[in-house]
Amino acid sequence: MNPRPWWRKLGHGSLLLVATVYCVFPIYFMLVQSLKTAEEDVFGNPLIVVNPTFENFEELFERKGEARGFVGSVLRRNYPVLEWLENTIVVFAGSATVTLVASILAAYALGRLRPPGFRWWRRAIFATYVIPHTILFVPLYQVIIRLHLDDNLLALLLVYPTLALPFCVWILSAYFQQFPREVEESALVEGASRVTAFVRIILPMSRSVIVAAGIFTVGTIASDFTLASVFLLDAHNQTIPAGLGTMDVALDELLAVAGINLMAIPVVLICAVFARGYVRGLTAAMVEGA
Amino acid sequence: MRVATTARRRDIQVAYLLLAPTLLLLLTALAYPVGWEVWTSLTDLSPLKDGPTAFVGLENYRRFLADPEFWRAATVTVVYAAVTSVAKLSLGVGFALLLARPFRGRALVFLAIFLPWAYPASVSVIGWYWTLNPPIPTAYSVFMGNVKYAVDGVLGGGAWAFLSVTLFNIWRGSSFIGVFLLAGINAVPPELFECAVLESKSAWRRFWLVTVPLLKPFLALAVFLSLTTAFADLANVWMLTAGRIVYPVVGTHAYWLAIRGGQFGPASALSLTLVPFLLAVLLILFRMFDPPEKERA
Repeated sequence: MNPRPWWRKLGHGSLLLVATVYCVFPIYFMLVQSLKTAEEDVFGNPLIVVNPTFENFEELFERKGEARGFVGSVLRRNYPVLEWLENTIVVFAGSATVTLVASILAAYALGRLRPPGFRWWRRAIFATYVIPHTILFVPLYQVIIRLHLDDNLLALLLVYPTLALPFCVWILSAYFQQFPREVEESALVEGASRVTAFVRIILPMSRSVIVAAGIFTVGTIASDFTLASVFLLDAHNQTIPAGLGTMDVALDELLAVAGINLMAIPVVLICAVFARGYVRGLTAAMVEGA
Repeated sequence: MRVATTARRRDIQVAYLLLAPTLLLLLTALAYPVGWEVWTSLTDLSPLKDGPTAFVGLENYRRFLADPEFWRAATVTVVYAAVTSVAKLSLGVGFALLLARPFRGRALVFLAIFLPWAYPASVSVIGWYWTLNPPIPTAYSVFMGNVKYAVDGVLGGGAWAFLSVTLFNIWRGSSFIGVFLLAGINAVPPELFECAVLESKSAWRRFWLVTVPLLKPFLALAVFLSLTTAFADLANVWMLTAGRIVYPVVGTHAYWLAIRGGQFGPASALSLTLVPFLLAVLLILFRMFDPPEKERA
C-alpha cells in the first residue's frame, strides 16, 4: 500500500483523539469527582483533582468523624456498603453462571441436536427481546411473591438471566452449528460419550464465544437498575445500584460518586481483561452467519 | 428427510431436556407476566378502585387512540428511537471503521471505545444525572446550570433533561454498536475490502456499495438491539430526569399510569402497544441476519 499523505494521517489521528475523548471523558469526570475532598468539589477546578484522596471511599464503608453540625447529624445515614458489595458479587456471579449454563445447554440442543423446528425455537427465544420491561415488574412481583423470593437475592438470579439469555443462545447456537459433524463423531467412534465429546472437544473450541456471551451477560446485568431496586427493598439485601438509588444525592453527592466507581471499576476491569476475547468471540460466532 | 431411528428420537428428547432450563427461566420471568399484562390490558384493574375488576374489552386501547397525550408520547418515542438509533449506528460504524485497520495504539483506542458500554449503566446514569444537573454548589454547577437554562430557553422546559437522556443513550449505545460492528468487520474476509479498493476510488461509494452490504447482518442485529433498548428505555429516562418528565415516552407514560395513577389496565395496554411494532421490525430484520436459505448439511 502506498504511504498515506500527511493530512490523512493527521485526520485519522484527530478522529481517534475525538473518539477517545468522547468515550472516556464522562468516565474520567466521575473518577475525578470521587477522588475530591468536599472543599475541592466546591472550589476547585472541576476537570482535575489537585489533592486526590480516598476519603470518600473510606467514608462509604465506615462513616467516621463528627457529623458537620446539627443538620449533618440528623440527616447523615449509614449505608451497609460492604453488604451491598457482597450482594452484588453474589448476584452477578450467580446470574452470569445461570445464564451461561442455561444458554450453553440450549445452544447445544439447537445447534447440534436440532430438534424439529430448531430455527423457530432460536428465533422465538431471541424474539423475547420485543417484550418491554416497562411495567412488567408488576406481574413479575406476583411471581416472585408466589415463589417466596421477595426481598431475596434469588429473585434477581431468576430475572437477570432472561435479559441476556436470548442473545447468548443466539450466538452460541450459531457457533455450535458450524462444527462439522465429524468433529464430534470422531470422538464418538472412539468410544467417548456424547457428554465427554462435548466437554473435551466442543467446549474448548468454543471458548472465545463463551467469553463473549459471558461479557455480554455481565454488561447487561450491570446495566440494570430498575429490577434491583424494585425487588430488593431491605437495605441489607440491596445490590450497589439499588442501594445507591436510595442515597440522598443532594447530601451525599461525593459518596455516591465514590459508590459508582466502587461498582464500576471491578466490572470495567473484568470487561477490559476480556475485551479482546469479546470481539474475537463475537466474530467467531458471526463468521458462520449470525 | 425423515430418519426416525431410535438414536434420532433420543437426540430430540435430549434436546428438549437441554432446552428446559432456558425455557423455564423465560416462562416464569416472561410468559406469566406478559400473559398478565395482556389480560389486564382488557380490564380496568386498579388497586385504588373498590369492587370487582370489570372486563372492558378493547376499551383501554380505544381510549388511547383518542388521547392526544398518547400521541404525544408516541411521537416522542418514535423520534427518540429514530434519532438515537441513527446516531448510534453512525457513530458505531465510524468507530468500527476507525479501528478496522492496524495502527499504533489501536488497543488503547479500542479499550476507550469499549468503555462506555462496559461501564455499568446502572451507576453511570446516576453519575450523568449529577454531572448534568448538579444538586449542590459544586465547582461545575454554575456552568451546567447555564447550559441547562440556555437549552431550556431555546427549546422549552424539560428539553435539557430529555437531551441528556438522548446523549446518554447514544454515548453508551454507540460504544456497544462500534465494538459489535468491529467484530462484524473482522468476520469479513479482508480480500473483499481490498478488491473494493481496486474497483472504486471513491471511499464514499465504496462504503455504500461494499462495506454496508457486507455488514448488513450485523447492522440489522445492531438496529434491533438499539431499538429495543430505546423503546424500553424507561429506567434511564426516569433516572436522568429524576421523575420530572416533561417529554413522556410510551414507557414512562405507562409507568406513570401504573405506579402513580394505579391504572393497571390502561398502563398494560399502553406498554403493549410497542410489541406488534417491534415484532414486525424483528421479522423484517430476521431476513437479514438469519436468512432461511442458509441450511447447512
